[in-house]
Amino acid sequence: MLNRSYYWLITALSIPAFLWLIPTIWMVSLSFQPNDVLARTTSTTAFGLIPIPFTADNYVALFGFGQTPLWFLNSAIVALGMTLGVLAVSTTAGYALARLEFPLKRSIMVLCLVGLMVPEQAVFIPLYTMFADLGWHNSYHALILPRMAVPIGVFLMMQFFRAIPKDIEEAARIDGVGWLQIFWYIMLPLARPAMMTLAILTFLYAWNDYLWPLVSAREPDRFTITLGLASIQSNFAQSEGLGRVMASGVIASLPVVILFLMFQRYVVRAMTAGGTKG
Amino acid sequence: MAMNQQRKGRGLSQTQAAAILLVPFLAVYGAFLVYPFFHGVWISLHDWNLLAVAFNPDAREFVGAENYIRTLWGRNIEWGPLASPVMQTVGVLGIGLAFFGFRAGRLSKATALALGIAGSLFVLLPGFHPGEDGRWYDRRFWPTVGNTITFVALAVPGVTITALILAAALDGETRAKAVLRTLFFLSQVLSVTVVTLIWQIMFSPRQGLIANLTEALGGSPIVWLTDQQFAMAAIVIATIWWSLGIAMILFLAGIQDISKDIYEAAAIDDATGVKAFWYITLPNLKRTITLVVVLQIILHFQVFGQSHLMTQGGPNDSTQVLVRYIYQTAFRDSELGKASAMAVFLFVIMGAFSLVQFIVGREEE
Repeated sequence: MLNRSYYWLITALSIPAFLWLIPTIWMVSLSFQPNDVLARTTSTTAFGLIPIPFTADNYVALFGFGQTPLWFLNSAIVALGMTLGVLAVSTTAGYALARLEFPLKRSIMVLCLVGLMVPEQAVFIPLYTMFADLGWHNSYHALILPRMAVPIGVFLMMQFFRAIPKDIEEAARIDGVGWLQIFWYIMLPLARPAMMTLAILTFLYAWNDYLWPLVSAREPDRFTITLGLASIQSNFAQSEGLGRVMASGVIASLPVVILFLMFQRYVVRAMTAGGTKG
Repeated sequence: MAMNQQRKGRGLSQTQAAAILLVPFLAVYGAFLVYPFFHGVWISLHDWNLLAVAFNPDAREFVGAENYIRTLWGRNIEWGPLASPVMQTVGVLGIGLAFFGFRAGRLSKATALALGIAGSLFVLLPGFHPGEDGRWYDRRFWPTVGNTITFVALAVPGVTITALILAAALDGETRAKAVLRTLFFLSQVLSVTVVTLIWQIMFSPRQGLIANLTEALGGSPIVWLTDQQFAMAAIVIATIWWSLGIAMILFLAGIQDISKDIYEAAAIDDATGVKAFWYITLPNLKRTITLVVVLQIILHFQVFGQSHLMTQGGPNDSTQVLVRYIYQTAFRDSELGKASAMAVFLFVIMGAFSLVQFIVGREEE
């Protein structure tokens, strides 16, 4: 298999792969160059792809002043809160729909299935008025709660629980274990891989979501990093300096990129599941 | 303690246990998805000013379908078969393809039906146009829908074809291929605001990498984002760069499902490489391709960030897209009623494609 044509293929593909990476490399490289140099030209060394002259000042400045650290913290709280919330409601409902028999089961399933078709953009206006009436805007729970209502997680968990052999449960039932105990002590530990997939899907969504935070979080100290980055990029050259804005972009991407490189298989599975089912 | 818990749990019937487990999800589902959805339809039937209603809840007025008429219709609207020749020709081709594809047994019933309906809509809808002395009540709405369709029509084939070729080339267990897959997938995990940040500066005529390269090669830089000819192309390029990953992964999964025996048998007949891709991979991937295309249509029809941040809908509204128009109508013009009517319109289109996705997905199982 590893013949000459294979090496040709890899070499031929390395070029587009490198081109694909250039925008990212450029962002990282610009973030390490001094702002006064960037104000004159962005292509000092190798079209700016190599950070010479080099400086780490942009990152120091980022954590010294400005709101980037606060936005980062907001994003972390919202993303973790949303992940826990989605896991809690999806595992419970997913198990009930996969394994328990009860009246109205089919109707509830159909109702949830229909919910998969409703895009965020179709409900963000009524959600806005609803949260405004409740006085909930500019809060963490306003950013977290709407995503907990999206039924994609329930379906992911339901599919997983359905695939688990029934004998384990039946044996436990004979031993007199209650349904909730079966769920908590037997099924949840088994569901760890599926929960991991769902957790990553939710975390990525939360970290990268733009439209709803844009509508709901109007005060800059409640911005997530994704939203904050949008607010500083329209006038990047004048106010903050290109290098600092790029450093913010790098910081904003770091958690998701690290997550991706560490748990690549889960991330790919999560994004495929999220992509195909909602 | 453990015994006690067990006995208590044993006492619950399946229905009771199910109720306890389902209540948390159904509560948030009802409150933050089902109720808002119907409330959105309700808002769309009112003259509802965001600020006025916020101060005085009675300031809204029931107007029935007026928001829909004000958005979708106009004065002296006529229908003609040649009002929009390009779109209508595409529609006729779609109907023809569906009909003959089905007759020849190349398309399944559901696919042919979906294609036929889509084709009919392409013939029917663009045929409406204002007659003499007529005009649309909202001059910006249909051009915005048109821009959104243009964006989808450029981004979806761009992503699909690139992803398909990459997936075919990168299928395999070797380390080098795994690394290359990672590189191509990486940009997918970035947020839309990081993507627009990078590409705004990439495309900048003064500071941009593309402009610097063009100048080094002796050309004069293009003002990508503010030139009506190039603005749409620019956001499409950024979008392809951003969203190639999922499509590639879905194709890789589809390719892995094709039996290796077929390739081995074909290799005996000297069909390898490009030939194998054309005669084996492509025909066997038909369903995956349909699924990926429908998915991409749903995804890209909802485009917002790229247009909002890179071009602000401009120049001259040439990159104004539907979701951005809804956002502006609601939160800049405070016309919640009209914005909600547009959101319902978006939902109907998205719902139709979701249905197609659901049917195609079911067929696959």
